[in-house]
Amino acid sequence: MPEKPIQGEKRMFVTGNEVVAWAALAAGAEIMYGYPITPQNEIMHYWTRMIPKYGRRFLQTEDELSAGFTTVGGVLAGRRAFTATAGPGNTLMQEPISMAEAMRLPIVVVVQQRGGPSTATVIYSQQEVTLTTLGGNGEGLRVVYSTATHQELFDYTIKSFNTAWKYRFPTFVLGDGYQAKMRESLMFYDPAERGIEMVPTDAYVGRPGMPGVDRAPTHMRNTYNMEEELYDVLQGYLADFAKAAPEIAEHEAFDTEDADLVIISHGVVSRACKMAVRELREQGYKVGYFRPITLRPMPEKAMREMAGKAKQLLVVESAQGQLDRLVKEVIYGSTAEMLSLFKPGVGVTSEEVITRVKEIKG
Amino acid sequence: MGKPIKIVLAGEGGQGVQSVAEILAEAANEKGREALYIPNFGVEQRGGVSVAYLQIGDEKIGAPKFQTADIVIALSDRAVTRTRKYVGPETVFVYDSGIENIKDELPTNTNKIYAIPAIEVSKKELHPRVFNVIIMGAVLKATGVVAMDDAKKAIEKKLGYKFEKNPELREMNFKAMDRGAELVADLS
Repeated sequence: MPEKPIQGEKRMFVTGNEVVAWAALAAGAEIMYGYPITPQNEIMHYWTRMIPKYGRRFLQTEDELSAGFTTVGGVLAGRRAFTATAGPGNTLMQEPISMAEAMRLPIVVVVQQRGGPSTATVIYSQQEVTLTTLGGNGEGLRVVYSTATHQELFDYTIKSFNTAWKYRFPTFVLGDGYQAKMRESLMFYDPAERGIEMVPTDAYVGRPGMPGVDRAPTHMRNTYNMEEELYDVLQGYLADFAKAAPEIAEHEAFDTEDADLVIISHGVVSRACKMAVRELREQGYKVGYFRPITLRPMPEKAMREMAGKAKQLLVVESAQGQLDRLVKEVIYGSTAEMLSLFKPGVGVTSEEVITRVKEIKG
Repeated sequence: MGKPIKIVLAGEGGQGVQSVAEILAEAANEKGREALYIPNFGVEQRGGVSVAYLQIGDEKIGAPKFQTADIVIALSDRAVTRTRKYVGPETVFVYDSGIENIKDELPTNTNKIYAIPAIEVSKKELHPRVFNVIIMGAVLKATGVVAMDDAKKAIEKKLGYKFEKNPELREMNFKAMDRGAELVADLS
């Protein structure tokens, strides 16, 4: 039995891609399937460098379609499997992810968003929100965690395997090029030492015994002859998702109780918004901070409560309203004025957020 | 709440600005401080202006990039042009005095502008390879973000295996750092 990758708590200072590779190791991921694309390449670089010592595996495929389908295959065989991608790779991967939704397969996908549309930039964006939450030809039966710090990249990469295997929905860690490439401090830990139990995996296919004699045959479907058949299956899935949603949904908020204006953001942009809210509060502005950590499912109850009190909501994101659309769907009926700071494909600084709030407040 | 010190380092690919930022960030982290370092990166592997964004403070750092730096170090003509936008009234702007034809490009709204002969010193007194270490010494002197000894420890950690084989390298690196600090001390 190879030793545990992480023993005790360890303060680290590394890039986000390295964090993801370590977290997957710590979570007991058995195999990564991948195809290179910037800015997530180093996840597989670190993974392949580290795994020989721990008996884990890696398969480089010919493209992201294949990386997604082989991850599906790994999960069918009962392996804690994951892949990572970005940008156009995320686009291609929606096809296998759709299949995973159809078969309720707990694949884990790490996305480090880059600029779009198309090849665009290899640097950064928050433009893969719509694609990651609602991509594929289906109903978005998936879980998406949007991380903001290296600590969260570590925590939520571990958590994503448990969410996936517990609820059996494809689960995403949605990072970005900044998080992928920057270095900052965080604590590495072994999940077991923190009392985090990894949800056991089991095989969908190739189980022991004679099908139909010793056990029920496995019947995996992503195709149906009759529309009613599909409808019935989907009703079950949708009911499961609706039931799981409040258990899965997470958010972070402060200073919203007495705020006239609440700034809503997610991911790395929320770091700028957090600083901006603190500084604006010091200057006497009644502003609050709200950040959905899960973009799918959204933290509906908390968000609706918050939107019921605030007079103005300022949505800040490195995209042209992809988060904004998700927010509006959740808070439908709220009378709060909707305001925005959209910077598609580029970073947002706290200075810009402060300037925007002051412009609004006059 | 103490704000972090914000540093922008920019130069030509190969001048080693990313290494400087990384070593400074690691030195600060080793001392238990909070640091965030992010390189700019594009599809080009070389030939572009390389910019490093570094923040060092005592609390968790906010956004990885920022609008106005406390100190900007520009090591080529294109780097001067590229980094002007990070300059505000409080910013200390440092550039290499060997850069030609940039008088009109230099920012005018700064706190201080220092021209230091780092390229010249590296060529004449030390070795072009330690040019970036001279810059590191200059940054340390100008900001005080990390103690000189801690930065030396960070270099030792990073390059110790090379120093083992060739102890002269260690001496040259440490000398370069001290020389960089002197260049700034001479000006202030």
